[in-house]
Amino acid sequence: MKKLGLLLVILSGALLLYATVDFPLWGDPSSPASLHVSPRYIEKTMEETSVPNIVTAVLADYRGFDTMFETTVIFGAGVVCFLLLRVLGGEEGDHYYRHLPTGVTIHVKGAKGKSLSGEFERIDMLWTPYDLVIKTACRIMIPFIQIYALYVIAHGHHSPGGGFQGGVILGASVILLAISQNLRTALRRIGEKTVGILCAIGVFIYAGTGALCLALGRNFLDYAALASVLGTDPVTARSHGILIVETGVGIAVMATMIWIYNNVSSAGRYDEGL
Amino acid sequence: MLVIALLVVGLVFFTGGGVGILRFPDFFTRLHPAGKLDTLGSLLMMLAVAIYNLEHFSWEALLTSLKIMLIVLFIFLSSPTATHSIVDAGIRAGMVPWRKETPEEKAE
Repeated sequence: MKKLGLLLVILSGALLLYATVDFPLWGDPSSPASLHVSPRYIEKTMEETSVPNIVTAVLADYRGFDTMFETTVIFGAGVVCFLLLRVLGGEEGDHYYRHLPTGVTIHVKGAKGKSLSGEFERIDMLWTPYDLVIKTACRIMIPFIQIYALYVIAHGHHSPGGGFQGGVILGASVILLAISQNLRTALRRIGEKTVGILCAIGVFIYAGTGALCLALGRNFLDYAALASVLGTDPVTARSHGILIVETGVGIAVMATMIWIYNNVSSAGRYDEGL
Repeated sequence: MLVIALLVVGLVFFTGGGVGILRFPDFFTRLHPAGKLDTLGSLLMMLAVAIYNLEHFSWEALLTSLKIMLIVLFIFLSSPTATHSIVDAGIRAGMVPWRKETPEEKAE
């Protein structure tokens, strides 16, 4: 089975390498992309979509279908990490709890996890005392990182940025929380189920926008159809449509980042993590 | 003129940091130049860039300079924290700080 897989990989790789021979030369001015495609985008993007950043317009509008499946691939990566790594079922074995007001640690042997009252905190064998400096510095920085991430998502029309980049920064801020405190703290803020649902919602927003355009009588992902819903002219509607799908991409990427980190760092047990 | 001076001083700090990372004997001493000199070096260089940007004064340029100073603030917060956490991890992993060999140890 493994050999068959290897053979398939090598064959498809060889096929792809063979196909690259037919590509036009790098930077060839007479290649079809430079002759017809690029000039059209450069000349028409502003009047068709009113988005100053051509890259964003090409990414989310002209080639929206491609980006939709990129988002789906990211969603798939998160799901695969979850399916491969997550250890489901009750955790048998020893548990450690700490009484917060007194700092006393309690060791419960060979029992299933118990639900906790507010005064107790679940800790793990690998637990190490967390550093005040790191905690405080991260507590100061995380809100600003998140605001910056929202700015990157929302400002993708005018500057470098967009859903993917902003989503990664958002995810990184939560991961920073998990590193500076511990995984349990981060999971209390944004739980496993929330992450999974957000991940799916992000892809759903993207595909749903496309389907809405279809329902309104235009092509899939032709945001001009949203003009009647948004109450604007078709050109502005395309600009707004890009923002909507970028938001979807941002949510999906953020959730996937957190999801992958949670699973990989704790080897699927969701206990201490790093 | 001020810009050039700041850039040169920043460069000196960066060079010192680079040499220090290469030349110091162990983990902890290497982190020392990496944490300190890089922070100060980037502070000076960013300051130089911010001042250079203000050469033809306008409110937009001032805004850009303010954003650059925000980056400096971020580096000032995050870089020492990162160094601190790496040192912390090193101690927890059981690394022993380097010390100079005593004459008896050299003799052995």
